[in-house]
Amino acid sequence: MTPLVEVKNLSFEYPQGIILNQIDFTVGPGEIFCLLGPNGCGKTTLIDCVLGWLKPCAGQVLINGTPLLNMPAKKVARNMAYVPQVHEKTFPYLVKDIVLMGRASFIGPFRTPSPEDEAIAERSLAMVGIARLKDRPYTQLSGGECQLVMVARALAQNAPLIIMDEPTAHLDYRHELIIMETIAELTKQNGLSVLMATHIPNHCFYFENQGIATRAALIKEQRIIAMGKPSEVLTEHNLNELYSIHTRILDYPMDDGGNLKQVLPISTVKP
Amino acid sequence: MVFGVSSTKKPVMILVFIAAPILIILLSLLIGRYPVDISSAVEILWCRITMQPCLIEDIYQTVVWDIRLPRAILGAMVGGCLAVSGAAFQGLFRNPLVNSGILGVSSGAGFGAALSIILFHQTAVTYTFAFGFGILAVTLSYLISRVYNATPTIMLVLGGVIVSSVFSALISLVKYLADPLDELPAIVFWLMGSLASARFSDIMIAGIPMLIGTAGLFLFRWRINVLSMGDREAHTLGINTTINKGIIIACATLATAGAVCVSGIIGWVGLVIPHIGRMIVGNDNKILIPVSFSLGAAFLVIVDDFGRILTGSEIPLGILTALIGAPFFVYLLKKTKGGGW
Repeated sequence: MTPLVEVKNLSFEYPQGIILNQIDFTVGPGEIFCLLGPNGCGKTTLIDCVLGWLKPCAGQVLINGTPLLNMPAKKVARNMAYVPQVHEKTFPYLVKDIVLMGRASFIGPFRTPSPEDEAIAERSLAMVGIARLKDRPYTQLSGGECQLVMVARALAQNAPLIIMDEPTAHLDYRHELIIMETIAELTKQNGLSVLMATHIPNHCFYFENQGIATRAALIKEQRIIAMGKPSEVLTEHNLNELYSIHTRILDYPMDDGGNLKQVLPISTVKP
Repeated sequence: MVFGVSSTKKPVMILVFIAAPILIILLSLLIGRYPVDISSAVEILWCRITMQPCLIEDIYQTVVWDIRLPRAILGAMVGGCLAVSGAAFQGLFRNPLVNSGILGVSSGAGFGAALSIILFHQTAVTYTFAFGFGILAVTLSYLISRVYNATPTIMLVLGGVIVSSVFSALISLVKYLADPLDELPAIVFWLMGSLASARFSDIMIAGIPMLIGTAGLFLFRWRINVLSMGDREAHTLGINTTINKGIIIACATLATAGAVCVSGIIGWVGLVIPHIGRMIVGNDNKILIPVSFSLGAAFLVIVDDFGRILTGSEIPLGILTALIGAPFFVYLLKKTKGGGW
């Protein structure tokens, strides 16, 4: 089966220095792929390269087997949707107007959304459980609600892959969990794939604990230093290597017979 | 939203926004130094359109058909174009404080007009120069913004600021060199904006870019929503940002340059009319663009009517748009509590 995204030997550099060095990974159908790494390790740059927003200096990105370079934006949008880390709000659009924009790649240049597009937008809002907000100006929503609107917009794109850049940054405890549950639900119910950057190793365990095919890539100093199932790569040793922190990995038996794995941070490694 | 638009009221709203500017144009045929009653105005229009001989005195025919009608139509087109381009630029630049002159079209056109006034003393040349320099100014702003081989919004705005200030300086230079007895007043009057010289021929010439620009913005109106999400998000939503931005800038510039070259510089409309539209129908450009045209058209014709009747001599439009528009805008702000900002 062709992977949805295949990153091959990708390098990226700014005049100031190398950001990414020979990155290789694939994201398959129905899989959640997490990028972990300290601030400034190049996660967002890597995501921008996969989105086609930045052009890699070497190597390439294949979308469904087709090179991303020079692929028209419309075609890219039909293959992957994007949930930004911070969405800068400008005009007080209504929530349903925002979600409708997810249909842009299906709406010709001289056209406006059709009733069918509106139905898809409403369905996307219902899928993330915020259908009640559709007529509200999205500038009046809380950070968590707004993030759900962004996820709904991505769903309206009907793409097999959603790319998220720290989707739970700045969210409160409950909304963080709501977003995580939504992602898990979408992967399980709709067979979506997710490529996400995150700062929280426990996110990877959360998906794995749910029985979803999950992989994590640990990025440090421009390279992937470890990649694989969370329970295999998120070890005390690797986390020490990645973040210079001491941790304990807890393994807690659940009532339903499963195991709940969690990372518990203990202390930073003093230089 | 003040008049919250429900889906059942939608056809009524559309009708109101189409009918309002037309009614105002017709009303303004009656107002002025020579009062004309409705029946004679209608008769004159009817006779002229059907090419029949008319029994009404010639002077009234000239006043209604050759002076007031072209002036009102041109006023409506200019107002509509400025408002629509303003709304489009606000969406494109993701900034509600932007107006139709952000990329320098007004100062470019002003310089072109001033230059032709001191060089040629001919109205027709003034139109061409104003239009040409307006387009030139925007082209320069666009090229400046491309130094990074892309068109980031902030660079476009900076390019506009740079080009505007250069052309403003050039306008001052031309004023300084102009003959203070006849050329300087002509330049100053042009810069204050006026529709006093409007003829049907003006509508025919300047109407072409205005129509093309407005039609383009109307067709692309929904894409402005997507572009207002910012370059990166618009790209991932499936829009080629460079091409779409270029098209919208080109259309808005054609519309504004067409308007400015016949009317002179009229401020306020391109900034505030879109806001009034936002308060009434919300921010979805699918609705906002046509509504802005309607509001801008109605507003400028009304203001021009005031300019004709308030005093014995005409008050330049650029002065009145703000003097009449500002209190109205404050009233709307209070009434709608800012429309969700």
